[in-house]
Amino acid sequence: MDEFNDNQMIGKLLRLKRYEQPPPGYFENFLHEFHRRQRDELLKQPLWRICIDRARDLVFSFNLSTLTSYPAAVTAVLICAGIVSLRIYQTPQPATVAVKDPTVLALPANTEDEWTLASPVATRVFNTRSLRNITESAQTHRKGTPPRYVLDSVPVSYETTFKF
Amino acid sequence: MRRLSSSRSATGFPLVATFASLAAVASLFAQHIPESPAAFSREVKDVFDRCAKAVVKIEATDQHGELSGTGFFIDPTGTLYTAYSVGGEADSVMVEFKGKKYPARQLLADLRSGVAMLKVDLPSPSLPIGSSEQLEIATPVVTIGYPLDLAETPSFGMIAGFDRKCFGGYFPTKHLRVNLPPQRGEGGAPLLNLKGEVVGILLYSFESNSCYALPIEAAEKIRSDYVRFGEPRYGWIGTNVQEATSPVEGSRALTTEVMKDTPAAESGLKSGDIVLQIGRTKVHEPEDILEASFFLTAGDAVPITVMRGNEKITFQIQADLHPASQTRLAAPPPLNRAIPLNLQSAPERTP
Repeated sequence: MDEFNDNQMIGKLLRLKRYEQPPPGYFENFLHEFHRRQRDELLKQPLWRICIDRARDLVFSFNLSTLTSYPAAVTAVLICAGIVSLRIYQTPQPATVAVKDPTVLALPANTEDEWTLASPVATRVFNTRSLRNITESAQTHRKGTPPRYVLDSVPVSYETTFKF
Repeated sequence: MRRLSSSRSATGFPLVATFASLAAVASLFAQHIPESPAAFSREVKDVFDRCAKAVVKIEATDQHGELSGTGFFIDPTGTLYTAYSVGGEADSVMVEFKGKKYPARQLLADLRSGVAMLKVDLPSPSLPIGSSEQLEIATPVVTIGYPLDLAETPSFGMIAGFDRKCFGGYFPTKHLRVNLPPQRGEGGAPLLNLKGEVVGILLYSFESNSCYALPIEAAEKIRSDYVRFGEPRYGWIGTNVQEATSPVEGSRALTTEVMKDTPAAESGLKSGDIVLQIGRTKVHEPEDILEASFFLTAGDAVPITVMRGNEKITFQIQADLHPASQTRLAAPPPLNRAIPLNLQSAPERTP
């Protein structure tokens, strides 16, 4: 009985609505109006929420399996950059293979004021002291190490006085 | 009249011929410098072809490891010159000659001049000794060396100067500054004129395209001492010199000190004397003393002329052994004897 009454009610309503029509252009503008209302709904959210949603949509638009190596690659690049920058700013160590006696190299220079010094000849003594001992030297000159190609850049001796 | 003219022509011809002969001889002795770039190239190639066979690579070991340098034969018995830094402090010296390596022994190593003399027991070609005194600024020169691990390599340049002072100190004697590009491994290489004669020994690089060479006369002085005494014998007389405020007879070399018990004191030289001449070397500045002093030989008498007041005095002074002679003699030969010749085959003379 109730079901019968419901059907009658629905029929009555359909008859009443039978002459109601949407305004002109309603169906043509339907999709546009739908998007406008959708954007209006989105813009009611706070900006940070919008950004998160956009980012999430972007991430999920890619294949997740290919993205797993990205953090590892970024980490490796950062480590390499750190090492390179350390090497660049590191102070270079002086070469210690060709050893010259610093005391003698600093020797003569100005003889104008010192023509009466005791020693008439300044000499560079090679075999007294080196920065490395022979054992160390032997260890650093293994087979295959190129020899020291000799051409001095300073004389092996100087005259310090006009003594004769 | 006719007889007179024929007589004139007869005497004129020998005169012209004599002048022509003199001119030809003079041209032979004149410094030979080619006139075009192509001629230069041929001359350098010719010098290289003739002299390279007497230039050797020297490999040795010192306390810092292995080293490599250059040397050259100066007589047919295998005697060779090299730099002190190459053969002066090294052990187990090997000379690479004609593709083979031969052990070499050290005859002497002279710290003052910066050269060492080695000996290989085999007949060898040798370079003729020239004279650096004939060199002038811009005289072309050639060197042949073993740069790095490469084969013998010629370098061409010119004399740029004759320096006594550089690197903040005084050389023991005048050095030749040469504008040619030296490379590592060429220490001890010969400096040659375009006749192929040795005029110097390459010792030090100077900036990037210059180097210093010891004049060959300085090395020959040491070799002469070695032949006579078995070691270099630098002489000294025992005085100090400094620059005078005003020149006397063209010299500013003022004697400021005469040391006790030295040849100078015994001969009567006094403080205040102005040194005018030592041997054949005229003295103008105190630096001239170094040049003259280097060539003094202990035991030899040398005339020294000084100005004392208005009086010019010449002393004959027998030089004593230089107290700072620091020469390491590895294999002293018998004194007062020349290096023995022991040739197994006929020597090859180069060029």
